[in-house]
This record gives sequence, C-alpha cells and structure tokens, in this order.
Amino acid sequence: MTTILRFCCNDLLRFASVNLDHLTETFNMSFYMTYLARWPDYFQVAEGPGNRVMGYIMGKVEGQGESWHGHVTAVTIAPEYRRQQLAKKLMNLLEEISDKIDKAYFVDLFVRASNTPAIKMYEKLGYVIYRRVLRYYSGEEDGLDMRKALSRDVEKKSMIPLKRPVRPDELEYDSI
Amino acid sequence: MRSPNSKKAKTKRLESIRSGKRTKPGIQYLIAILRLQPGIKQKMASKLGLAGGIPERRVRPIWDAIDSRQFKNALKLTTTLLSKHPHSPYALALKALILERMGKPDEALSVCLNAKELLYKNESLLMDDLTLSTLQIVFQRLDHLELATSCYEHACGKFPNNLELMMGLFNCYVREYSFVKQQQTAIKMYKLVGEERFLLWAVCSIQLQIEPVDGCTGSTVRSGFRFENAAAFLCQTAIRLAWFILVLDGIYSILDCSMEPYTGMVLCGNGGEKLLLLAEGLLKKHVASHGLHEPEALIVYFSILEQQAKYGDALDILGGKLGSLLMIEVDKLRIQGKLLARAGDYAAAANVYQKILELCGDDWEAFLHYLGCLFEDESSWASETINTPINPPKYVECKLTHLTDEVFNSCVENASAFVQKLQAEASNDSLRNPCLAHLEIERRKCLFRKNNDDNLVEALLQYYSRFGHLACFTSDVEAFLQVLPPEKKMEFLDKLMKNSNSLSVVPTRALGQSITLLKTQELIGNMFNLSVAELEGSAVQMAELYCKSLPLSKDLDPQESMHGEELLSIVCNVLVQLFWRTRDLGYFIEAIMVLEFGLTIRRYTFQYKILLLHLYSYFGALPLAYERYKSLDVKNILMETVSHHILPQMLASPLWADLSNLLKDYLKFMDDHFRESADLTFLAYRHRNYSKVIEFVQFKERLQHSNQYLVARVEAPILQLKQGADNIEEEESILESLKCGADFIELSNEIGSKSLTFNEDFQSRPWWTPTTEKNYLLGPFEGISYCPKENLTKEREENVRGFIERKSLLPRMIYLSIQSASVLYKDNSEINDSLADPKISTELKVLLERYAKMLGFSLNDAIDVVVGVSRGLKSYEVFGSDVIDWLNFAVFFNAWSLNSHDSGRQGGERTPGSWHVVNSLLENYILGKLRSMGPLIQSPQGDLPILVKLVTEPLAWHGLVIQACVRTCLPSGKKKKKSGSTDQSISLLSNAVRDAIQSLCSVLEEVAKWSQDQIKSPEDNKIDLLVSSLKRNGGAGKVFNILETLASSPNETELGDRISQALRSWSPVDVGRKIVTGQCRVLSEFWRICESKIKSLKTLKQQIALV
Repeated sequence: MTTILRFCCNDLLRFASVNLDHLTETFNMSFYMTYLARWPDYFQVAEGPGNRVMGYIMGKVEGQGESWHGHVTAVTIAPEYRRQQLAKKLMNLLEEISDKIDKAYFVDLFVRASNTPAIKMYEKLGYVIYRRVLRYYSGEEDGLDMRKALSRDVEKKSMIPLKRPVRPDELEYDSI
Repeated sequence: MRSPNSKKAKTKRLESIRSGKRTKPGIQYLIAILRLQPGIKQKMASKLGLAGGIPERRVRPIWDAIDSRQFKNALKLTTTLLSKHPHSPYALALKALILERMGKPDEALSVCLNAKELLYKNESLLMDDLTLSTLQIVFQRLDHLELATSCYEHACGKFPNNLELMMGLFNCYVREYSFVKQQQTAIKMYKLVGEERFLLWAVCSIQLQIEPVDGCTGSTVRSGFRFENAAAFLCQTAIRLAWFILVLDGIYSILDCSMEPYTGMVLCGNGGEKLLLLAEGLLKKHVASHGLHEPEALIVYFSILEQQAKYGDALDILGGKLGSLLMIEVDKLRIQGKLLARAGDYAAAANVYQKILELCGDDWEAFLHYLGCLFEDESSWASETINTPINPPKYVECKLTHLTDEVFNSCVENASAFVQKLQAEASNDSLRNPCLAHLEIERRKCLFRKNNDDNLVEALLQYYSRFGHLACFTSDVEAFLQVLPPEKKMEFLDKLMKNSNSLSVVPTRALGQSITLLKTQELIGNMFNLSVAELEGSAVQMAELYCKSLPLSKDLDPQESMHGEELLSIVCNVLVQLFWRTRDLGYFIEAIMVLEFGLTIRRYTFQYKILLLHLYSYFGALPLAYERYKSLDVKNILMETVSHHILPQMLASPLWADLSNLLKDYLKFMDDHFRESADLTFLAYRHRNYSKVIEFVQFKERLQHSNQYLVARVEAPILQLKQGADNIEEEESILESLKCGADFIELSNEIGSKSLTFNEDFQSRPWWTPTTEKNYLLGPFEGISYCPKENLTKEREENVRGFIERKSLLPRMIYLSIQSASVLYKDNSEINDSLADPKISTELKVLLERYAKMLGFSLNDAIDVVVGVSRGLKSYEVFGSDVIDWLNFAVFFNAWSLNSHDSGRQGGERTPGSWHVVNSLLENYILGKLRSMGPLIQSPQGDLPILVKLVTEPLAWHGLVIQACVRTCLPSGKKKKKSGSTDQSISLLSNAVRDAIQSLCSVLEEVAKWSQDQIKSPEDNKIDLLVSSLKRNGGAGKVFNILETLASSPNETELGDRISQALRSWSPVDVGRKIVTGQCRVLSEFWRICESKIKSLKTLKQQIALV
C-alpha cells in the first residue's frame, strides 16, 4: 500500500513525522528546492493511505565520463513504517532511474562509519565500501563512500575499493 | 544517512552556495548564479578575458577577498581598481556589493545608483551580464528589485538581440512575479532563437497568470487571474492584448479557429481560457515544426490541455511519437489513466489502472483510482486547492449513490476478482495492498448498502491476523473503522481481544500485536468507557509489558527505535485521562515520570518529548517544555508544521527572551524563503523542469497565506510593545519603527477576505489537546471519540481570522492612546482652541467602534458593559473568554475619553469616570484571580497565563496612558500655554493619574508578592509534595512503582550494559527538582516584569506629586 511519487513542495509540509526522527536532517529550503529544480526524478516520496508520508529518498546525478553517477543524498523512513523494506524499494527506484534513464555507471552514497545498521542494509542491497573519507562529518566522524555498479559499468570497475582513505578536499564532487 | 555539516574550505564554500544561506551570499551568490548558468562565465572569459570590461586577473583578488569575507581588504582593492577604472560600472558594482556586505546599505545604494547612471549615460560602454547581475544582487539585497529590472530593461533596449541580457531580464521578472512581462520576454527569446525551452518559459508564464480552480493540475479553467485588484488586472490585460496582437500573425493559422472569434474573445475578456488557448497554439505550432524534446515540456503540454478539458487531444499526443519521451512506463500509464477517467472513459481507464497494479502491486493510489473508475466516481480525481489543509490526512471520499444495485454488484465482483488475482500473483508475502484493497471493497459495500458491517469486521480481523504486528496497523485501518457504527467497533475490539490469547510465537511479533490491540482500543475511544480501576489495571499491564520487553532491545544500536517504545506513550495517555477524571495530581506527575523514565533509557524518542512538552506546559513549567521542544531540533520548514506545539503557550508566558527568539527564527525562515523562492524558481526554469516552476510559485503563495505566519507577524511587534511598555520613550520609538501601526490596520482590514492556509501537522499532538485552541483538561471530564477525529479546520479559520483582525488593531490603538493622552483636554467652550488633534480622537473612536463590534456590541453598548461591570452591576462573566480584549477596550476607551468632547455621555463623569472604570476593572479582576489561585505546584495550569496576560497587556497599556499623562502634566512637558482652564485641566488630570498609579501599584505589589511567596517556599518541600503524590495508598503510583522496581535492581545479563546503566541513572527526585525549578523560573520572570512596572509607577508617582 505504497505509492511512490515524485516529491513535491507540499510534501515538505507532510514529512514532520519522518523528519522529527533524530537521524534525519531537515535541510534549509533552498537545499530541497535545488534538488527539486534540478533532479526532480531523484526525489521521490512513498505515500500510504490518506497521503501519509511513509518515507522519501533524495538524490542527484552528476560527474563526467566514467564518473557519471547517481548519488543518494538522503533516504529515510518514518518509525511507523520501518522494517517493511521500504528503503530498499526507494533505493531500487533511484538505481533504476540512474541506470535506465540517465545511463550512469554507478550509484554512490555516504554514511557515517559508526552507523552499522545502515551500512549492513546497504551491503545487503549490493553496495560495497569504496573508500573511507576522513573526518567527513562535521570534521569529526569518518564517512564511508559506498558504491554499487550499474549495468553500464560492465566490469564493475567503479566498485573496486580504494586502498587508502581520502580527505574531504580530495573528493571529486560535493557529495551531499 | 546524514550529510556533513562542514567540510574543508573548498567544499564549505560550495555548500554555502548551494544551501543558499542568507548570511553568505555576495560574490559567492553571484558565482553560484553563474554556475547555475553553465557557460556564461566561461564564454565571457574566453571571449574577452575580461570581467565587466576589466582584465580578470585584476578582479580575481577582489572576488577571493569577498569569498573569504575580508571585506575591508576587498574594499581597499576595489578602491585601487576604481582609481584605474573610475568609470567602470562593474568596479562600482563590486564596491556596492562589498559595502552592502559590510552593513552599509545607504552607501551601497548610492554607489549602485552611480553605476546605474554610468551604464545609462555612456553609450560606448559594455553592458555585460556580469555587471548587471552584480548590480542585481545588490539591488535585490537592498530591496530594490525594480532598479535591477530597469537596468536590464535599459540594457535589453540597447542591445535588443542579446540573449544573455534577455535571460537576465526574464530572471528579474521572475523575481518580481511579473508573469505577463516574463511571458513577453520569453516570447522574444523564442522568436530570436526558436529554442523549445524559451517557448516553455513563455507557456509557464502564461499558466502562472491563470488562477487554478483545483490545484496544480486543475481540470477546468475558471476565467480568473492572479491579480489582486481590478486596476492591475486591466493594465495586465492591455499588455497581454498588445502582445497577443504582436504574435497573432504568427500563430493564428495554426489554430483550429478563425481569426474573428479569436480576436473577439480577447476583446471581450474571459481571459483564462484565451490564455490557455494561446499557450496551446504556441505549443502546437512548435511541435509541428520541431517536435518536443523534454519530458517536462510534454507534461506542461498535457496540463495545458487538461485545464481546457481537452483530454482526447492529450491522449492522442500520449499515444503518438511524443509519448515516448516519458520513459518510465508507470508514469505514462498514470497520465493515461487520469486522462481517460477525466474524459469519462472509465472502462478504458480501469484497464490502465489494472496494468499499473500488475506492474506495482503495492500502489494504493492506483487501486483507489481503479475502484473510482469501476464505480464511475469522478471525485476520485479531485485535487487540492491552495487552502485545502495539508494535514490531517484526507480520507477517500466516494460517491456511490448514482449506481444501481446491479451495477454496484457487478463492479464489486470485478474488483474482488481482480484483487484475488493480485493476491495470488503477489510474490511478496508482505504486500499489504491486496489485503487493504479487500478492506476498501468491503468499506464501499458498507457505504452503499449499510448492512455489510459484519463482513468489514471480518476483513479487519483477517488484516490483523496478517499485519497486526506492524506499527502502522492502526493508521492503516483508521479509515475503515470510521464507517462502522460504535457497537460494531466494539465488536471488532472484543474479537481482537479474544485473539490476544493466540499471539505469535516470535516475541517481537507478539509484542507488536499486543501494542496494536492497545492502540486500536485508543483509536476507537474505548479507553473512555473503562472504569478508573480498569484503566489503572490496563496502565499497569502495559508498564509490565514494557519492562518484560526491554531485553528484546538489548543488542540494538542506541540510535535505533526500541521494541515496545510506544507502550509508554499509551501509558501516559491513560494516566492523563485518569487525572482528568479524578483530578488526582498524582496521575499527572506519574505520566511525566513514565515519559522521563523512557527518555532515560533512550533519549531520542521524539514522541515522548512531544507529550512531555505538553505536560510541562500544562504544569506551568514552561522552561522545561521549551527545553524539550528545542531538543526536537525543529528547524527550517518544520517550524511551519511543528512549532504549534510550543508557540501558543509561549505567547501567553513571561519568557519573553525565548519567545522573541522563537518568533524571530520562524519569521526569518519564512521571509528568507519568500526572498529566495524566485531564484529557485528561476533555477527550475533553467533546468527545464517546468512543472516545478508552477509548483514553487504555488508553494510560496501557500506559505504567504499561512495562518501561523500571519499570527507571528502580529505577535512579534506586540511582544516588542510589551517589552518596552515601562518606558514611554522606548515604546514610542518602537511604534515609530512600526509606522505607528498603520500596516497592521491594513492587515486587519484585509484579513476577512484573505484566504488562509493551515499547514500545521496536528497528528502528533496529544489526545487532550488536539488543536492549539483546545485543551480538554481545562474543562470537566467528558468522553471523546477519537474515531473519527473532529475536524476543526473551519472553526479554527474563523478563530484565527477574528484573532488577527482584533490583535492587529492593537499597535495603532496604543499609538493613538498615547497621542490622545499627550495633549491636554479643554472643555467644549474652548474646543476650537484645543491642543488636541481632532483626527486622533476621530480615528481612535472609529477603532473603538470596530473593536466593540468584534466583541459583538455597538460602541455605546460596549461602554455600558464595562461601566456596568466596573460598578459591580454586571458580573465579569459577561466578558466570557474575551476578558483581555474587554479590558483593552476599557483602557483605550479611557485614553480616548481624555481628549474627546463626545465621550461625556456618562452623565458628566467624563474623565474621572473612565479612569475609575479602568482602575477598578483591572484591580478587581486581577486580585479576584489571584485570590482564587492556589500554589502552582498543586494546581497545574490554573490561571497563571491569564494573569500574565492581564499584567503585560491591558495593565501595561494603561500604564502607558498614565506615563503619557504624567508627561503632559509636568512643567517640562510638551508645548503648553498656561491659562486658567489649563491649570484646572492639569489639576483634574493629575488627580486622576495619581489615583490610577496608586491602584496599579497596589495590584502589582500583590501579584509580585504572590509570585515571590511561591518562589521562596522551600524547594525540598515542593519536591516531596510531587514525589509523595505517587506513594500514597490507593490512587496514582502503581505504574511508577513498577518502573522503580525495575530500575532498582536491573538484571544486567538480560538487559545488557547500556540499558542497565541507563536504569541505574534514573532519579525521580531529579525530575521533581527540574519541575520545581522550571515553575520557579516562570514565576521569577513574571515577578521581574511586575517589579519593573512597580518601579516605573513609583517614579511617576514622585513626578506627579510635583504637579
């Protein structure tokens, strides 16, 4: 009983129950609206009966050459709707759009190195830790850059882990 | 997943640009804009190696200095640059930018105007987009959008075929929301280069001129425009007509109508439809010659057709070559289904929705549309309007009355067969859609036949047996339960209870099922039917279950939700109900303890924090409530949807510093959004996401009409006025900054016709206060039905309108009252010679009449009421819940009486009479309240908020009138001609003022003493009082004991380290201490306010003694 739709501005007024969760960041308006204005297909909401927001995913597509990739900026599910594989569904959708429509080589995401439950979930979805980004979060905690190759990357080159960790200023993209 | 808050310098800068923080725009913002316009900067650089006509290498250090916020250095570099290029508008623009960033807006504006003048004057000068966009940024930040626009207009006039400049001009019009001019500019660009995007810019600009009937995807067009008044409308129509004639020759041949009706339609108005026809014509012509290349363009095309009800045309396009632009099959099917249904071809539409469901079996919306098609029910496609409340969630409405039994049965048969097929094919056992679909079919049978309740109950039981363990069970079934009569709801509950003996063997699942049972009981409202003993028993059971389930969460990450967390919220709900019924404060304290206990074990549970903040608010411990609110980290758009939890209580509190921050943050967020929204809209234009253009504009309008925003806009200055009320000079300068309240009068005039939006999310509010206006605990016990929840939007709308209308008169009335008291009244014989400005008296009278009318009376009758109450002829009860407004009225009436020759209708008791009315009203009411109030620690809520309001509003305004009078009477006062009658007036006035000061002082001293007594009473006694209320024999405390027992000897092997440690740190005495401290802080703040007023009055007393 989930309808996945493009996220629209009015959903910002419906997502309180999702965003009050302490792990979900509420960004400023221009952040959300920039994503909506530039990558509307990468910002999707899962709705339950009565237009209740169950969760959402926001992301983008960027890069050049073989680094052309989809990026997951945030994926979050309201407490009520957890443990129903909804995050997986949303991730699969973003992967599909990156793969089929934008013909990207891979999808990547950043996660706190301490967030074991999330890392485990991404691993189950086929993501591997590509590299560690030192002090990525507020200059304190390390981030993990996780990747999953798409069909265009036939040899799955994008997923071969880097041997050494990198600093945030070495990142090719501003991977928020 | 969280994104980083800060990274290294490079990324930080990018971040600030992208996140568009208002604190850091300037050059970064400019660069950001250039980044958003890929190619422009490069193009300029490669073409000329110049920036604004100056070698780039000279400008770069300035950019870098601005980027790193070294404004002084940047200014120095710019001065050097200007010495070499004194007539460079770009160098001046940079200087203006820096000055603005340094907080020198006036200098910045003058430099900007200088640059503008140079641009206009010097024909040979380069008019590049970089210079113009830099100027634009500064003008925008200085709130002079129109100057930026005129620069671009001038430049475009000079270089008519320069695309970059035209885009800049388009952007200016986007910022000004000048849709017609946007349209004209876009058409010019389209004519120039023939690009699809410019055509779509024009089409969007056309769409924005049309007021949609039913939201963004409106189905039919009302011939309305987005113009607020007729004059603007006429002017815009003229422009449109001119433009229309300009392009007409280009498009008339491709339209399916002749020239004659076309021009005729425009001339006779009927604008919306014509505009849509025009947009359609433009698109049609372009498609014929160039096709379309963007999926978003196609979506806009469809919406243009849909708005004209041309569904068939849209379907043809979808089925043709252009349809392949939509690459996601389901998206295409959704559009097809909607168009078919709107066209009335329900059979074909139903087939399409079937296909969608075959592709995504879990798509609930598709299923509802499928049913809508089978039942030929058009209400299924009605969309939202701007003032449809976003929350609460809307339930599916359906029309079935038009169906015969036979048709209905066959529809149900078809639907059931299809659902069964879906169910059989579902590979995933956890798919809820087919089961809910079955429920929905049974629900519709109930609605149609009214005798299908048993089947629905049966279907609900089946749903429970499969999904009863899920946390979302109750919200899933809420809409289905709604159609059942109360006895059937109970029957369902009974059957569920019987099932509870056969819970799952998997512990977490069994726990989920048990919680669902309890939540269902809450949802149905059964908790209100139970006896006190039963309720207590139920709370105890839940607490035991919570303790028993804790080991299940032993190995969970502390950040993860724990199993059984919801139990404590339900326990709290039950305990608050017990308090409501018995008025035993112990239950109330117990509810607080339960939640604090839960937070000791896991500090992140936001549901506990919300409940607690309401409990603390009710208990008069507002600082604690505010602390809990802050820990929710409510920011950005959440301020619009979540701050209702705290804002109303803060507005009635003496915590002025916190309230001021709350209002400031909220207003800043909203105003920043209004300022930057147009830039983001332009971004959507640039990235060719046209549907977002429309969405962004509508969203901004929704927020601008937010009821909460309007309330905050009125409350923020009133707070300032309260804060400054002890010093008349300070108050006068505040009033001056508020244009003496003139803008608020305008708001008050407009509010009646303004559409308001209600964006607050009330879902998370506790049962006892479902909206900001309601708190059941304030009244006697009564049953409440949760299902369906009351829909209070209509009532709220009326309340808010009335509130804003009344409240926004205050600043002006305060201003006029001070004015009125600042001149000496002379009797009728000398009225022509009076120092009073008759306009003040007249205006104040008009406002008093309005105020009285809002209270439901004529001016004379309202005066009779206040006089009657002050003389004890009428009871205070006649004021009802508007007591503050009535007392305000009395205060302003007195101020007006000071200077009005027609206020003497009270039988010669003019001035002294009205003074006496106010003094005695305030004195009797406040002291009466004070005497009826017990200590805060024993009587939650009570009358403290009203007491605070009385002192900080009517009493404060009266204090201002007194201050103004004293100033008038003093020898050093404003211009005075001494004469016999003046002396007499002064002596009359000073006597009245002396009495008033005496009266207010004695009232305030009593209030201050009352506060001080409570503050001083020993803390330990108060804590004992709280904790002992849980340890009495009988009554409250049973749940508390269970939790205490668990905390006193935690089983470490079962619970693990983390939980055991948390349990050991549990201290109910600490909670008690926090409550006591919180209450004391409120009282101290209140005492401080009273003391400050007393001090000010004493000074006045000394001054007036000299007269």
